[in-house]
Amino acid sequence: MNNIFTKCKPAILLYSSLCALSISYAQSETVWDGVYSSLQAELGEGVYNNACISCHGKDLGGNSNSPGLVGMGFMFLWEGRTLGEFFEKIREEMPTDRPGQLPVQDYVDVIAYIMKANSFPAGDRELPLEVEALTAIAIAPKP
Amino acid sequence: MIIKTAKPLDYPVLRAHSIFLTLAFVLSSSFSVAQIEDFTEVTDQMLSNPPTGEWLSWRGTPAAWGYSPLDQINNENVDQLQLKWSFALDDTGAVQAAPLVHDGIMFIPSARGVIQALDAVNGDLLWEYRPTPPTEEFINSGAGTRAAVLPAGAFAGVGRGVQKNIAIFGGMIYAATETASIRAIDARSGVLAWETQVADPTLGYFYTAGPIVANGTLVTGITGCDRYKDDVCFITGHDPLTGEEKWRTSTVARPEDPGGDTWGDLELRFRAGSDAWVAGSYDPEANLIYWGTAQAKPWARVVRGTDGDALYTNSTLALNPDNGQMSWYFQHIPGETQDMDEVFENILIDVDGRKSLFKMGKLGILWQLDRETGEFIKGTDIGYQNIVNLDPITGKITYRDGMIPRLGEELNMCPSTSGVKSWRAMAYSPDTSAMYIPITLNCALTTFGPTERQLGGGGTGPVRRSNYHHPQSDGNMGEILALDIPSGEVKWRHRTRAPFNTATLTTAGGLVFVGDWNRTMSALDAENGDVLWQVRLATSNQGFPISYSVDGKQYVAMPVGTGGASWSGSLPRDLAPELSRPRNGSSINVFALPE
Repeated sequence: MNNIFTKCKPAILLYSSLCALSISYAQSETVWDGVYSSLQAELGEGVYNNACISCHGKDLGGNSNSPGLVGMGFMFLWEGRTLGEFFEKIREEMPTDRPGQLPVQDYVDVIAYIMKANSFPAGDRELPLEVEALTAIAIAPKP
Repeated sequence: MIIKTAKPLDYPVLRAHSIFLTLAFVLSSSFSVAQIEDFTEVTDQMLSNPPTGEWLSWRGTPAAWGYSPLDQINNENVDQLQLKWSFALDDTGAVQAAPLVHDGIMFIPSARGVIQALDAVNGDLLWEYRPTPPTEEFINSGAGTRAAVLPAGAFAGVGRGVQKNIAIFGGMIYAATETASIRAIDARSGVLAWETQVADPTLGYFYTAGPIVANGTLVTGITGCDRYKDDVCFITGHDPLTGEEKWRTSTVARPEDPGGDTWGDLELRFRAGSDAWVAGSYDPEANLIYWGTAQAKPWARVVRGTDGDALYTNSTLALNPDNGQMSWYFQHIPGETQDMDEVFENILIDVDGRKSLFKMGKLGILWQLDRETGEFIKGTDIGYQNIVNLDPITGKITYRDGMIPRLGEELNMCPSTSGVKSWRAMAYSPDTSAMYIPITLNCALTTFGPTERQLGGGGTGPVRRSNYHHPQSDGNMGEILALDIPSGEVKWRHRTRAPFNTATLTTAGGLVFVGDWNRTMSALDAENGDVLWQVRLATSNQGFPISYSVDGKQYVAMPVGTGGASWSGSLPRDLAPELSRPRNGSSINVFALPE
């Protein structure tokens, strides 16, 4: 089975390249800069309760088949990446029975709710709807 | 706690209790459209030796071969199979149905607690049991994931609402629910007879596997044990007449128990996992049930805080169904650390006079144990994993260099956490003396991360994962592997781009039936793997195909559905993106030869 390690080199290189790309965006803000509003998080909670809760749970903790969206687990999966990547991930794959079928606003509002659940501070503006703008917001450890 | 919807009913006299039936009807939201008059009570003897045309246990018999002795449909005429009827199942959750057939009636579990009785010849609906939706108070009752499982109009979440199998005994159908209760439903009318709350769903407990009946005891295994709580996973035995709990056996060694030190100094609340999420088998002669347990949680040793064996995780347990006493256990992978689950089906075969138990977990090792003693007999590594070495003499597992995960360090794993084998049960044919195993070829670059060690925390632990094709797969994910029993030699392999997504079904007609994720149901020649017949169905084949006969005519039934956990979405999405499936279409599809 040693040949696995040689044969999968292209996959490793691709993965590494993607990782490198993910941190190469120029970011001017982080999730700690008040980049969503409390109202947006409230709206996002409604979306979450309709579209996400049956897999990720009421406490956003996930289970054996669905990753947790709060706490150490969330930061392990997303720290060093951007809200733009997070948006793209959930828009491409979620909800599992109809990926990409929610309005863009709903996806962004859900992100605001997840940010609130992770105790990232709310501010006086809403998250932007454009991927490029979301990509400029880094998911970073607490300063 | 017994939820009294009606006086518990004695099996033979249901029609005499019409007043109670009416009360139960009102309280349980059953929707009954007919009263089945011609119904024979199912006995222990019938379960052990079912009439040839009946399918009374989730894998046919308590030995779980997944084999039908019917041979009217065979490798000479299978290419003439025709669809006889189809029946839509609810798309409100995952469907991985294992139907039962008795007295010409098919009983089929559907998503979110729904059970239907259908005329097995033409698919007419005879009755339907549909549970009462939970109250707002229940939905809002706690922090556990299961407290949120049933918002009205809930969609087919990953693995949500699945009930794989049901059991039949006496005049009842028995089910285990996603809210951690068990139910008895009158097999003649679909009316709820009793419901017993076994565990608190707000702590995360739920069922995906249904019960079995062994020596007159209803046995169920709980799951949802991944979050930290002041209790552990367990298997219970119940009185089938009342639901009263007769015994409860923990699947985790408590600190004060023998083997309690295998979790190091972890408190009880941090001993998670060992979920019993696949129904067991039963040997009436030995009067033992055989039930698998899942891996410890969080998955990685470094995250859960002990490198001990963590008994009785990832084990096969032999329990006395009368009292739950453990006769023996065999731990397949002590201290498992990569989500390589060994919980799956237990197939009971006598080999050269030796009473054996066969099973396979995610690593793709076919285990043969002595089912009287638990002694290791033989292990066959089918060669698709790069994680452990197996000592062929002792059956002991050792991890290969560098394959025990460290926090935040990437591992190159074959298989991925999806495993090369999962809930899709293998089948045995006594005619060919071979096991037919649904294999999923896959690997992943995997990084395990930390989780909070506090009540309500835990879980599996976060995993960063990048799937890739197995280097031996030639781009295929699906494989049916036929292994000779007991030698373990490969008889043949049949590979497909799409992964197989059902159990296999073997028949005395020399056939192996199976279905894949890409909607194709196939009949293979059991001798050589040749494809003899195929049909495309509404969506992914998913569940446990069966065969039965009514009035001398043989039928083959295949469930299809979506929402299945265990890679059902992620692997095809990542590794075969050119394939797609409808997101709805759950149904049961029944085939037979032309008139």
